[in-house]
Amino acid sequence: MIIQVATSLIFITSLWLIFSEKLNRTITGLLGAVLMIGLGKLLHFYDEAHAVAAVDFNTLGLLLGMMILVALLEPTGFFQFLAVWAGRVSRGRPVVLLVLLGTVTTVVSMFLDNVTTVVLIAPVTILICEILGVNPTPYLMTEALLSDTGGVSTLVGDPPNVLIASAAGFSFNDFLTHALPIVVVAWLSAMWLLRYLFRRELAVRPPNADVVLKLNPRESLDDPKTARRVLIVLCAAILFFFLEEPLELSPAFIALSAAAIALVWVRPEINEVLRRIEWSVLVFFGALFVMVGGLDASGVLGGLVTLLEKLYAIPPVLFGLVLLWFSAGLSAFVDNVPITIAMIPVLQGLEAHGVNVQPLWWALAFGAGFGGNGTIIGSTANIVVANISERTRTPITSKLWNKRGLPVMLATCLVASVLYLLLYPLFTH
Amino acid sequence: MIKNCMKTKVFSIPSTATIRQAAALIVERHIGLLPVVDEQGKPVGIVRLGDLLSLELPDFFKLLPDFDFVHDFGAVETNRPSPEELDRPVTTLLQPGIFVEETCGLLRAYALMIRHNLHDLPIISKDGALVGIASRVDISTAILTTWNTIPSSTP
Repeated sequence: MIIQVATSLIFITSLWLIFSEKLNRTITGLLGAVLMIGLGKLLHFYDEAHAVAAVDFNTLGLLLGMMILVALLEPTGFFQFLAVWAGRVSRGRPVVLLVLLGTVTTVVSMFLDNVTTVVLIAPVTILICEILGVNPTPYLMTEALLSDTGGVSTLVGDPPNVLIASAAGFSFNDFLTHALPIVVVAWLSAMWLLRYLFRRELAVRPPNADVVLKLNPRESLDDPKTARRVLIVLCAAILFFFLEEPLELSPAFIALSAAAIALVWVRPEINEVLRRIEWSVLVFFGALFVMVGGLDASGVLGGLVTLLEKLYAIPPVLFGLVLLWFSAGLSAFVDNVPITIAMIPVLQGLEAHGVNVQPLWWALAFGAGFGGNGTIIGSTANIVVANISERTRTPITSKLWNKRGLPVMLATCLVASVLYLLLYPLFTH
Repeated sequence: MIKNCMKTKVFSIPSTATIRQAAALIVERHIGLLPVVDEQGKPVGIVRLGDLLSLELPDFFKLLPDFDFVHDFGAVETNRPSPEELDRPVTTLLQPGIFVEETCGLLRAYALMIRHNLHDLPIISKDGALVGIASRVDISTAILTTWNTIPSSTP
């Protein structure tokens, strides 16, 4: 009993530290992980070997591979090119600009990291809005909200999906058949809602809309040669993701192979590329795996499974919906990665007790993915957009996010719930 | 010594002035840097042309390293500070600035200007009062003048 209380205390305190921003999440993760191992060794329930076994290297490998591809693509100006292209094609019409920038951000973040996409597209968005003389807030918020929403649709779109796919054994195609249809409807609803919520800002016609026609997307692409090479490799990687099952390849192997091939083809200054890798994210993931491994070894998660099993007397579909809204509510306030990593052993435990957890995995993916839209701190993309806007004359406030972002979160979760209910048989296998 | 090449007619503005007044004085005197002084005439910082113009520069200027592909700044060209912004105290734009004493060596003064990308260097007396100002050209030409004393290598 002491062991369970102590490990729960370590985990909950770490989550609280991350949530309250009292300590950086990676530092908190590392501290929590070593405390867990230390306690485990002292009370003989967890040690270094267990900790290494608890780390999901498939997730880390996939993330690292994709990060290397992004790190190669980042300095080429490709993201800038896309935003400038969207600005030009929109011909300065606010609604068209909103739809185009939202779509571009979504499509890119379905395959590449949301945060990098938003970090690189947001400054160009501000540029387009400033030369048009319109407020950038609707466009920036739309980019963050839609990239988070769109990211739920693919295996590589969002870190929780990578975790869920690895734990549940879902393939890239499983996401396309199960998550994508729901995300498309949720995304369209989000876009429609954003168009409505920002109707006043979008009604202002820019006085000199022609100015965007003078933008030349080609000129904004700094290194077309490298961009082309990386994109070819990226497309090949996506093709292999489709064939992952027949070829019996793991997503991590595909992503790391793509990274290796791209590195050989581009031959960049490797230290510069590695500097752009988000090591803090990888260390945070690794530390969380170790921490949750300790929580599992101490029997806390087993206890939770027994408790949930009793609750499973309620209809499974209802259980799924509860999980979806529970994880969405939590994800709005806490990083969705620790929530997902903590939920994984619980769902695996339920599976070991003979429960069909397939629909629950999907509920978790939708909840953790869409939930982040709810608050300004709900997802890293939101935080990044808010930070960028703070350096402008029109900062995005937490209050504004609650007015415009929260409805989007509620709408997407509602759409996901209705479709989950209607398509429930699809999610059971 | 910098004392020998500085301009002693130096314009400054009290810390109680507004941004609007600072801009007017800079325009009137056609200068790039204005030391801000307290009631005792001691400098508390500086305001440069660039600090005033930062009120007009677009936000993307800070966020994007390269904007050569933007051939027309459009609405940005007509950006003007609001009346409220102009009537704020000049101290809201105050930069700490670098001040050197009259006895400062010319090469040290020049090196400081290069390192901190300064075009003008305000000069203070031993007791901290503002006594002069020297531009990069003033200091550089004063250094180059000494080359006249170097004998030719060919007889």
